[in-house]
Amino acid sequence: MPKNSEGKDIAEVNPKKCSGCQACVGECPVGCIDIEDGVAKITAEKCIGCGKCVMVCPSDAILFDKPIKKKVVKPAEFVESGIAAYKGVAVFIEVKDGVAADVSWELVGKGRELAHKLNTNVMGFLVGHNVKSIAAEAISYGCDSVYVLDNSAFETYVSRVYGAALTELCRQVKPEVFLIGASSLGRDLSSVIATQLQTGLTADCTGLDVDPQEKLLMMTRPTFGGNIMATIYCRNHRPQMSTVRPKVFKMPKRDPARTGEIIPFKYDNVVEPLIEILETIKMDTANLVDITHSQVLVVVGKGACDSKNFQMLEELAALLGGSVACSRPLVEAGLLPYVRQVGQTGKTVAPKLYIGIGVSGAVQHMVGMQGSEKVMAINNDKNAQMVQVADYSIIGDYVKVVPELIKGLKARIPNIQTQGAQQ
Amino acid sequence: MQIVCCVKQVPDTTQVKIDPATNTLVRAGVESICNPYDLVAVEAAVKITEKYGGSVSVITMGIPSAEVQLRECLSLGAHQAILVSDRALAGADTLATSYTLASAIQKLNEIDPVQIVMCGKQAIDGDTAQTGPGIATRLGFTQLTYVSQIIGLDIQKQTITVRREIENASQIIEAKLPVMLTVELELGAARYATLPGLIKAIKHEIKVWGAKELSCTAEKCGLKGSPTSVKTIFAPPPRKGGPVYDTTEGMDQAVNSLLDTLFQKEAAIMSEILSNDSKVKNA
Repeated sequence: MPKNSEGKDIAEVNPKKCSGCQACVGECPVGCIDIEDGVAKITAEKCIGCGKCVMVCPSDAILFDKPIKKKVVKPAEFVESGIAAYKGVAVFIEVKDGVAADVSWELVGKGRELAHKLNTNVMGFLVGHNVKSIAAEAISYGCDSVYVLDNSAFETYVSRVYGAALTELCRQVKPEVFLIGASSLGRDLSSVIATQLQTGLTADCTGLDVDPQEKLLMMTRPTFGGNIMATIYCRNHRPQMSTVRPKVFKMPKRDPARTGEIIPFKYDNVVEPLIEILETIKMDTANLVDITHSQVLVVVGKGACDSKNFQMLEELAALLGGSVACSRPLVEAGLLPYVRQVGQTGKTVAPKLYIGIGVSGAVQHMVGMQGSEKVMAINNDKNAQMVQVADYSIIGDYVKVVPELIKGLKARIPNIQTQGAQQ
Repeated sequence: MQIVCCVKQVPDTTQVKIDPATNTLVRAGVESICNPYDLVAVEAAVKITEKYGGSVSVITMGIPSAEVQLRECLSLGAHQAILVSDRALAGADTLATSYTLASAIQKLNEIDPVQIVMCGKQAIDGDTAQTGPGIATRLGFTQLTYVSQIIGLDIQKQTITVRREIENASQIIEAKLPVMLTVELELGAARYATLPGLIKAIKHEIKVWGAKELSCTAEKCGLKGSPTSVKTIFAPPPRKGGPVYDTTEGMDQAVNSLLDTLFQKEAAIMSEILSNDSKVKNA
C-alpha cells in the first residue's frame, strides 16, 4: 500500500480502471482528488487516508487496503424518511392518437417481474381523453390497477401539463418504482416529473432487476458513449424512476380474462400549457420507414460511407424484404436520415436478421441491436468488434461481396419458397 | 434579452477504446471536446441575437479544464462565458446538475433578463437528455425539446415559434417566453471561428463561479444532492462470434459457403423472412 512522505497510508488510483466519473472528487473531505486527462489523480501529500473515495468508486479503481467502516442504513431510518410508505410498481401508459404505445405494455410485462420480486403489485398511470378502452387493455396486459386521469386538456401531450398531473398522481399514490417508455414523449416527460418530485431518474435502461438483499431497483444502462454499462441505484428517494427504450423488453401476452381495478383520479388543477401547437406535419407514410418493424435490416456503417454504393445495399435489403438502416457516422455525414439510425442515440431494433456492412461495432451502436436474432457482418477488418460478435462474418470489400451475395441469394430464394410452401 | 447556452465538456467518445485484456474502458488520455449538440445550440443562439439583438452567455459546470470549451464557444460568437466549478459540485447526477445550472441562470437573470435557455438535446457521454428539461422545470420556463428549426421570435408578443421533431411527425409550436429549448443537429452546424473571433476568445475573461457565488444549498448539489449513484460499472456481456469466411481465399467460395450454412442452419428464420417477403409482394 502506498504511503506519503509522512508515512501515512494513502489511496491510489488505477488509471486503467478509472472512468473519470468524479464521484471520488465530490466525496473527498480534504479535496485532494482532481480529474486530469480524464481520470482521477490523488495528491499524495494532501490525502489523509480516510478511504471515503474507495466507498463511492463504482469501478474499483482506487487501491486502498486498510479496512473501512461501512455505514449501514438501518431499516428504521427508511421508515423515518418516509420511504417505506412508497409501494408498488407504476408504469406510465403512453397514448398517442387514441392508441397505447407498445413500449408501455413491454414495461407492464417487466413491471410484473419486478413486482413479483418486491412482493407488490403493478399500477398503470394513464393520462388522456376518452381512454377507457386503454385502461381495460392495461389490465389485460398485466396491471393490477389503473389510475385514470381523463380530461379534454390531456387530448394532446404537452410536457408541463402531463408533468404536473403525473407529479400530483405520484405524490398521492406513492409508487416505489415508476417506469416510463423512452420514446420522444417519455424522454421529454420523465425529467419534468423527477425534478418536481426531487427524485432520481435513470434514462434508457437496458436492464431492470431487484437487488435481492436491499430490495432496491437495479437500473442498468449503457454509459460513457455506450462503451460500458453502469448499474445505478436510487437509495434514499422515491419513486425510483427509470425510462426504457422500446423493444428492450419483450411484449407480454395479453390475457382478456385478467381482472383489475380501474380508478378514476380526481384532478382539477390542470396547468396552463403555455404553448400552442400551430401545426402537426405527419411524415409522408409512403417514404416513412420504421426500421424497428423490419424483419431484416441491412445496416450501413462508417466502412461503407459512399452513397454511390447505396443502390446495391437497397437491392440486398429489398431482396430479403427488409430495409436499410445505418450507424451514427452516416447520419452525421448527412448521407442517411436520422430515422434510419440504429444505436443508443437512434433506434433500438430487434430484427430476425441483421446484416452489418462496414459497421465497426462501437458499443453505442451495439446496444441498439443486441436484440437481433441473427447477426451477419461484412467487413474488411477481421478484428472489427462487429466480426467478433456476429454469428456469421465475411471478410472482404463490401463493394465486391454484396453483389456476390445478391447473386447467391437470388439463386437460392425460389428454392426456399418452394420448401416453405411444402411445409 | 439574454440567451443562455448550457454546454458540457465530454470525452470524445469516438476515441474511447476498450482494453482487450481486461475488457474495460480506457478513459485515460482521451481528448475532451464540447458536446456537439451544444455547439449547435450556441450557433442558433448567436443567430438569434444577430437578428433580434441581445447577448449570448455560455455556462458550463465542470472541472477547470472545461475553460477550453468555453473559449471555443466565445470564438463562435458567444458574448460571455461562465465556468461553474467547485469540488462541492463534483459527482453530480442530472438532478443536482440541473439545480446548479438553474442557480447560475438565475444569477445571470438578475443582471439581464434571460428569455431563452438553450441546451443540446443530449450529451454524447451520458445520453440522458434530462438536464435541459430539469432546468426548464426548476425555472418554470416553457419546455421545447427536439427543436429542429427556429422559425421566429415576436418580441412584442413575447413568443417564439419553432419546429420540433416527435415520433414520425413534426410540430410547429408557438410558445411563451421565457423558454428552454433542447436542439437537434438539424438546426445547423456551428460556423467556423474567424481569426478575430479566435483572438477575442483567447483574451476574453471567463468568470468562475463556485457553490458560494451561486448561493447553492450544499445538500442539493454535487454527490450529496444526487439521488442516483452508480453501484457498479462493467463491460457489456460479449456476444459470441460465429464462423468467419475470408474472401481472400476466393470471393465466390466464401459467399457461397456462408449462404449454404445460413440456409441450412437458420432454415427456420430464412424461411420466415422470405415467406413474409412474398406476402408483402403479393399485397
